Amino acid sequence: MSELDRRRFLNRAVLGGATVVGATALGSVAPEAAFAAIQPDGEKLELDPSKPDPDFAEGRITGISGSLLLVTGSDGALHRIQLTGGTSIWKLRPTTIESAEVGDGLYARGVRMGDGTLAADAVWLNIVNLTVHISSIGKDVIHFDHHGSRLVGHVVPGTTAAVYNDTPAISDLSLLKVGVHVQVIGAWRPDTNEVDLATVYAAA
Amino acid sequence: MASEIDAPFYGESTWFCCGNAWGPCGGTGHGACGTCNSGSLQCAWPNTSDACYAITRPDRCGRTGLLRRTCGFTLYIRSRCNGNQVTTRIADCGPQTDLFCGERTCCSGLCARDRLMDLTPAAYSRIASLSTGKIPVRISSTP
Amino acid sequence: MIGWFAALQPLLVGAVLLWAGAFKLLARRAPALARRSALSTLVGKDRAAVAFRAVGSAELAVGAVLLAPPALAVEAVVATGLCIALLGYLGYARVVAPESSCGCLSAKHTPVRWRSFARTGVLAAASALAVAGAQWWLPAVDARPGPAVVVLAAEALVVLALSPDLDSYWLVPLRRLRVRLSHPLAGSAGFEIPVASSVQQLLRSPAFQAAGPWVRSDLLDFWDEAEWRVLSYTARYGGRLATAVFAVPRLRYEPDAVRAVLVDEADHSVLWEFAPAPAPVPTG
Repeated sequence: MSELDRRRFLNRAVLGGATVVGATALGSVAPEAAFAAIQPDGEKLELDPSKPDPDFAEGRITGISGSLLLVTGSDGALHRIQLTGGTSIWKLRPTTIESAEVGDGLYARGVRMGDGTLAADAVWLNIVNLTVHISSIGKDVIHFDHHGSRLVGHVVPGTTAAVYNDTPAISDLSLLKVGVHVQVIGAWRPDTNEVDLATVYAAA
Repeated sequence: MASEIDAPFYGESTWFCCGNAWGPCGGTGHGACGTCNSGSLQCAWPNTSDACYAITRPDRCGRTGLLRRTCGFTLYIRSRCNGNQVTTRIADCGPQTDLFCGERTCCSGLCARDRLMDLTPAAYSRIASLSTGKIPVRISSTP
Repeated sequence: MIGWFAALQPLLVGAVLLWAGAFKLLARRAPALARRSALSTLVGKDRAAVAFRAVGSAELAVGAVLLAPPALAVEAVVATGLCIALLGYLGYARVVAPESSCGCLSAKHTPVRWRSFARTGVLAAASALAVAGAQWWLPAVDARPGPAVVVLAAEALVVLALSPDLDSYWLVPLRRLRVRLSHPLAGSAGFEIPVASSVQQLLRSPAFQAAGPWVRSDLLDFWDEAEWRVLSYTARYGGRLATAVFAVPRLRYEPDAVRAVLVDEADHSVLWEFAPAPAPVPTG
């Protein structure tokens, strides 16, 4: 199925017209009922929190071979991350494996296979979540203070959004003020003190 | 407000990196407990010690009664978005609660306010996508 | 000329020391600040607050002596020694606790960086120069009031510019004014609804509440279809690999209207569906 055909099919499925072979839920679901009735697939063994999570990998990409990422963890561990058509890849925005580069920082969650490879459900490249202080604002750039170090945030037109007091995200960043604390989700530019901004959470 | 003494309570959770990790995380070390790593199921708690409490000051947000829980203590964090739960051990002091007093996050019609929990990327990604940044959670010392 | 210039320095150094001392003694948060500074590493957490106030007392005493007549060379020597000792403490803090706050002039958390060193160096130099002062500062100001004000104002500006803990008093307002006048981020507002907004709406919807536990990935793909934005995620449903597809209203904020399906990846059958509850029919 081509990408366009797939989208057309999924549009029909979600917007009406597809035959449902399974269950149908109608209307809002009380949280207790939802959590009680819907069990995550499979029972996971209780993990030891003091050890690395086997279904998670972090580190920097040191090699890319087709759909396989070779990653060296910050603890020196070597990881093989297998990507599939169902693996979500985030690099400032949802993207594809072509965006991955050697040197990118990585977090990956999935299922550890018998041969030690991590079959990834989700991969996040260069993602950072920082609490920072806005020290100055320039044209399409915001300068932050992050624990006493300078960090430069780049506004990416069409992508960067701001959330003011938990209201719906908008692309208008002009309400951000110098001197306030904000939280920033962004994509780090490797080996620099610069970040491309995805979302900025601020009080209005 | 009911005291949060030893009963489950609700707050926001964000995530943070620790250990010798890449990016702007590089200089943070292994956290206040000396054991924090981004790949482990760990968390930061606002009241691990007097020095920690003096920095996080959850009382400034009206969140009094947060019990002293020291390094290694087990906390169960359940996402209010999808009901998924993760078991974590305290490995650091945080988050900076008093910088965001009154901040609210909602998910699936359920909300929570004030930042009371910070999870490692491994722990957060068990219950939510890292790109969400913060979620409302239920925090308890029993499963 | 040098004697006149040197005679002015106790006014600058004395004023700064008075400010620093008064802050350390009178700030309500002084004990907390002391514990967060490198002092706690130097003297121990239990004694940090006492040490903090002791330093403040010393600064207050030296500052008062510098400002009060007569001008004695030994006062300037003591002030120089105090500044050199502070340089040493800053160096210690930078090495032992680089993220700790100086706590020098305000409660603002300011890790020790080059500006703190430069400011203390300027004050040490001014104190050393004051040794050569031949008279108390007030007659020196009276003798040439205009030049005295210019010199002292310039020196005060230098100290201010080198004080990160005082930025909120002048630098932040200045930068806010510049933003108000130049609107550097005015171009960011557009008509396109950012994807982040659609994801936020999805996370608040009853549809996500119902389907969320099955979702395994982050946002996989998204596209616009008429009034909807369609978001897809990988899911697992009863052991079967599936795609969770959500239709989120694109041009209005209505989480309750979000629709969802789970589509089996193997045979493309629809395994599960969530539709918004119909609006209640008004009665009466």
